[in-house]
Amino acid sequence: MDLFLQFLANGLVQGMFYALSALGLTLIFGLMRVVNFAHGEFYMMGGLLGWYVTSRLGLDFFTGLVLVTLVMAAFGWLVDRLLIERVRHLGEEPGILLTIGLSIFLVNTAMLIVGTAPEKVAGPVGNAPLIFGPIVLTKLRLFAVGCCAAAIVAAHLLIRKTRLGRAMRATFQDPMAARLAGINTARVYASTFALGTTLAAISGMLLGSIYVVQVSVGGVVSLKAFVVVILGGMGSFAGAIVGGLVLGIAEAMWGGYLSTGLVDIVGFVIVILTLIFRPYGLFSTRAERA
Amino acid sequence: MKFERNALFAFVALAALFPLLVRDQYLLHIGIMFLFYAVLGTSLNLVMGYVGEFSLGQTAFLGIGAYTAALLSQDFGLPLWATIPAAGLVSAVFGLAIGAVTLRLQGPFFVIVTLAFSEVLRLIANNWVSLTNGPMGIAGIAQPAFLSHESPLFAKTLYFYLMLAIVALSLYLSYRFVYSAIGRAAVTVRENRYVAQSVGIRPFRYAMIAFVLGALLAGMAGGFYAHYISVVDSEIFGFSFVATMIIVVLVGGKGTLVGPLVGSLLVTLLEEYLRDAKELRLSIFGLVVMAIVLFLPNGLMGFLARRREQYVASESPPQQVAATVTRTAA
Repeated sequence: MDLFLQFLANGLVQGMFYALSALGLTLIFGLMRVVNFAHGEFYMMGGLLGWYVTSRLGLDFFTGLVLVTLVMAAFGWLVDRLLIERVRHLGEEPGILLTIGLSIFLVNTAMLIVGTAPEKVAGPVGNAPLIFGPIVLTKLRLFAVGCCAAAIVAAHLLIRKTRLGRAMRATFQDPMAARLAGINTARVYASTFALGTTLAAISGMLLGSIYVVQVSVGGVVSLKAFVVVILGGMGSFAGAIVGGLVLGIAEAMWGGYLSTGLVDIVGFVIVILTLIFRPYGLFSTRAERA
Repeated sequence: MKFERNALFAFVALAALFPLLVRDQYLLHIGIMFLFYAVLGTSLNLVMGYVGEFSLGQTAFLGIGAYTAALLSQDFGLPLWATIPAAGLVSAVFGLAIGAVTLRLQGPFFVIVTLAFSEVLRLIANNWVSLTNGPMGIAGIAQPAFLSHESPLFAKTLYFYLMLAIVALSLYLSYRFVYSAIGRAAVTVRENRYVAQSVGIRPFRYAMIAFVLGALLAGMAGGFYAHYISVVDSEIFGFSFVATMIIVVLVGGKGTLVGPLVGSLLVTLLEEYLRDAKELRLSIFGLVVMAIVLFLPNGLMGFLARRREQYVASESPPQQVAATVTRTAA
């Protein structure tokens, strides 16, 4: 039982990171309909930039986080304006190919610059264990989960309460009507893409402070984010969070009780089952099936 | 149709002459890899170019074929002539099973689930140590026995012709598929699913035929690869093969039979020229993919076809019919 609680706690922690990175993808894939295969690479860039600013430039964690956020937001904005914009009206396939090309380019360019060695982001708090009854967590993990939650709340407020957020919601309901109402939809698309990119990057930097970040991590991260988005329902905020937690817990249980080698298989089994039995996902905002 | 058929014949004939003119192991190896990628491209093109669904899981079949051939050769001592067809067949059976699940989905969901399947297979290959020897892979796959008395050059030549036979078979099967009622039905599904359904075409059925045929071809290529390289590990399910296949199909032009051949030639040459810088090469590949999507969405063959149409149209306006005929031919 104690072991079970420990697995549960580990799963929840891991699930928060899945949720954060999937939140970025649910904006890009669920709302913008860009099947973004470079999402994991955005995560990887966040982690590596985080390592660079904390270890090489010697900034403290929070300044570094702000810097990474700004750089990645600008990067996401540029990717949308320079690449995605050109294929927006052409359906899904060009977007898929474009982001696959982008992902190949980013991975290998990063490999040229940084190399394949795993790097660690310098964390803001120590790695001392905290003991809650039967559960042991480290201070750093709790801190990172707190950051995750803060980022999720901030993104939620951005979309629900600000002028830009209202413009986003209008654009994704009906782009034509939004344009007629005077919304600059091109800018809204770019901002949404930038927001999605930033969320992935923050997730990468936080997780990089707990584990390590590696150039080759992107593919698995992309796939897991897709798993969570499909499980939660396209474009659903709550779905991304619940889906992330479900995936995190399922993996922790599988790894704890069955086998650690095949942990990554859980996500793929979940996505295949979801698409067969519940193609709308758990919380789809639109009645839209896969 | 005629252009495509003649081009394919000319290609196979030229390729058959290649080992007679070139007596160099390295060049023969490049030739073999070119033919190998041509088969992979053709196999992906059946699904991507003719049904219009984008499969990221084609390496699943490549890997299944390679492992089948490796295991049959290692555990049962079957010779190469038996293992390669068996690899194709096993892979086709898997195609039937995977297609039954994945082809119910379309668009991005199909893409993600096919990718998920190949990842699952990669993980299984890595973890089912008693069958696949795990991450170590299966090494020392048997070469045909009589080759041990012959020169390496002769072995390369033999492998070249073997691969060429697989290419010829692939092109023949694809040609028969594309220019049959089945192929036309598949193209109808690609162009407009609802119209296809309204005239009584079941998209699932035709997509399945293309998918299984693609699996068969990729499986045979995988079987060949296992014998030729003589090592199989789980990397064969990895993303780098998918990326290469996509580029082969895209550069050449999807939805044409000649396209993957052209694409394969360019990719093989580019790969050899940039061999010294591995990451740089892949970076350039990524840029190439993006550039093609943005500037040459129909690949080289699509570009040439359009130029020819424009040329014909501007040369002799009354022969508008000829232009249309050319378009259907290409």
